[in-house]
Amino acid sequence: MRVGDELLALAKAGGDGTIFVVGIGRDAGKTTTVRAIYFAAVRKKLRVALASVGRDRGTLGDGAAKPRLWLSPGTCFVSAVGVLPQSPACRVFRVSSLQTPSGNILFAGVETPGPYEVTGPPTAAGMRDVIAELRERSDLVIVDGAVDRVAALAGTRGAVIVAAGAADSATVAETALDTGALVARLRVPGFDAEAPGITVENALTETLVGRFIAERESRQIVVNDPTQIALRGRAAAEAFARLRIRCRRPLRVVAATVASAAAERQFEPVDFGTAVANATQLPTFDVYRGARAA
Amino acid sequence: MRRSKLLDRPTAELIGFSWLVDAVAPLSAYGERSFSEVTPFLAGDESAARSRARRIVELAAALDPGRLEALRALLRDVPDVAAALAGAAIGDVLSDPAFLELRRFCATLARVDSLVADSGQFEPLCNAAVRGVGDALATGQRDDATSFYLADAFDDGLAVARQRRADAHAEFQALRGREEQRIAAALDREDLGDEFIVMRGELRGDLPAGVHVIREAPTYFLCRAQYDEATVTALQRRDAADRSAAQAEEEVRARLSVVVRERAVEVSAAGAALGELDVLVAAAVYARRHGCTAPDISAEPTLEFEQARFLPLEEQLALAGREFTALDVRLDGAAVLTGPNMGGKSVCLQTCGFVALCCAYGLPVPATRARAGLFDQIAWLGLGRDERIGGLLSSFAREVLALKEVFERAAPRLLLLGDEFARTTTPHEGRALLIALLERLRSRSACAMLATHLGGVAAASGARHFAVRGLRSIPQPSGDERIEQVLATLGASMDYRVAEVGEAESATGDAIALADLLGLDRDFIAAAYRAVAQ
Repeated sequence: MRVGDELLALAKAGGDGTIFVVGIGRDAGKTTTVRAIYFAAVRKKLRVALASVGRDRGTLGDGAAKPRLWLSPGTCFVSAVGVLPQSPACRVFRVSSLQTPSGNILFAGVETPGPYEVTGPPTAAGMRDVIAELRERSDLVIVDGAVDRVAALAGTRGAVIVAAGAADSATVAETALDTGALVARLRVPGFDAEAPGITVENALTETLVGRFIAERESRQIVVNDPTQIALRGRAAAEAFARLRIRCRRPLRVVAATVASAAAERQFEPVDFGTAVANATQLPTFDVYRGARAA
Repeated sequence: MRRSKLLDRPTAELIGFSWLVDAVAPLSAYGERSFSEVTPFLAGDESAARSRARRIVELAAALDPGRLEALRALLRDVPDVAAALAGAAIGDVLSDPAFLELRRFCATLARVDSLVADSGQFEPLCNAAVRGVGDALATGQRDDATSFYLADAFDDGLAVARQRRADAHAEFQALRGREEQRIAAALDREDLGDEFIVMRGELRGDLPAGVHVIREAPTYFLCRAQYDEATVTALQRRDAADRSAAQAEEEVRARLSVVVRERAVEVSAAGAALGELDVLVAAAVYARRHGCTAPDISAEPTLEFEQARFLPLEEQLALAGREFTALDVRLDGAAVLTGPNMGGKSVCLQTCGFVALCCAYGLPVPATRARAGLFDQIAWLGLGRDERIGGLLSSFAREVLALKEVFERAAPRLLLLGDEFARTTTPHEGRALLIALLERLRSRSACAMLATHLGGVAAASGARHFAVRGLRSIPQPSGDERIEQVLATLGASMDYRVAEVGEAESATGDAIALADLLGLDRDFIAAAYRAVAQ
């Protein structure tokens, strides 16, 4: 079974027809993962819609264009007035009032197969509106995400796939640790309404966690959703080990993918896949090898 | 909606200008542009102001709530095509999103026309240019202005170029697909990505032909499929076909842009008319919602109304489950207003200001009847205008400077609303200042209402005297000291209506009773009553 088919099957089981691919950093293989799921969905004749939460690469200063996706007719995608290709011409459904550095967000439909740049609004609230509209226009919405934009996931019942790449950290172990911490953060269990708890309305920060640990807090620490948890790496690992962090609206993280080849370095693919699978306890796929990693 | 010189910022806030602006704000970008140009009518414009207010009332009556809401929904969603029209006018080739917005704009204008057609209130918005642009952009479209696609029907050459492109793509895909399938089969995989990893340990023999190694690592190869000569040739043909199709598409856009350019001025005029309609519809919604009537705009600087309401307060009271007591006032010069604390003197002044404000902008008035002149200046003096404590100036000094400004501007038609002017100086001198002010205002034929607790001012100045009727009876403290409860008790006992009275009928003070009601201790209240009796 192809990787895309497996990821699609995992994501669609019990989901609401939305898949978020969230990378732990740049060049984590998100776009390759999105592409694999997209082609699998197109093969199944699903009406697919695509959006991107990621920050424009141009704004990161590296000047590189956002990777384009080869899209098939019938696909709906989010673009912006300034980046919609003049050719092949698309069907333009709606120009929204949401703004990006590339102009107003718009909804377009592919009429001619070709490479298209998928983009999205810069805010989490905007992304939620965009997803709501895409869901009306499609059977499946795929969102190319970013780790610093997980707030866009708040309240979603969609599936989350975490992408890890060799560009993220210097070693396999470090990357696996970061990926595990992100997954632990996103997979925070639902809270127990019968058990005592402390509700955290705003961000659960390192400072706040430090205070709870110092006070040997044993009650549930309840956040509304995992995107409120502003912890990374070792701080996150320690918090999850020592506190009972829970959330009201859990996310559904279904799989991880690995991209062992990056411009900066390469990881040994099998070792990397195994390490990420162990750290996340998720079905893990190597999108470059076209195989299940572990 | 501009304040212009009609009123300064503190006065505007006190008499509900911002509230009114929000209440009559249009919804579309065109409406906003038109609204931003709205200025108060000035003396001499009485007929125009009267006509505008009547037109709004007629519009509110002619269009039922369902139709008004349908209109509002269209106006809320109408795209702003000003930038596209400006671009077309200077020869830009417009983009497909711009064509969609123009298409939606033209369709919206047609829908607005059909909604108001039988009301007899508006000229049709759709002129020949709007129809021309709408028709041109509808070519080959499969739906009702909910999308735009540069369809083949726009141009035969476009269809041909696209067919060539499709053929070239199919040829290239077939060749590349075959090549990729061959490589994938050789590697025992189902498909290949743009780049793919082959593990050395999983490789039986050499890498298949047509695989280009990007990077070689001890345990794997990072690869990409390499095109053979036939595929490369097909790719070149595909790229050439892409360029031809792109050129054909751009030529169609250029032709459509010329269609827009030739009609840009008239389409812009239709947009401006839409803006004016939006402004009128917003005012009609306001008039209907608040039961407003068209005022009679007088050539004299006068202000009179029956059953008028100060809408910003009425809205607040409604939230608290209470009702506003509508007021009647006839003001044709300078007058004095007296009444108990919390009796509604300030609200009476605000109602005067609000009614005058509506008239100034040709808006219907929240009253059963109103007649007012067009004032050059509406000014608020005294309490509420500047509540700062500290600074270089005392509150009295700030009041005096505000009055000085009013005198220096010498607006020919002035409406002055004074709330306890000179309350912070000695009663003796405060009264003298008020009497002098009333005399000055009368000499200038100004319209004014000055609220005060000081006695004998109206009689001494010869001004008319209005009074809030005040407490019907002294309410007894219920023991429930919650402010909502106290206000409810007070509201039930207070007659907020205003009536013209003689000096002898001036209301007696209710301050100690109110202090009692508000929860001051009984010993203190008793001491106050003893002091009054002495």
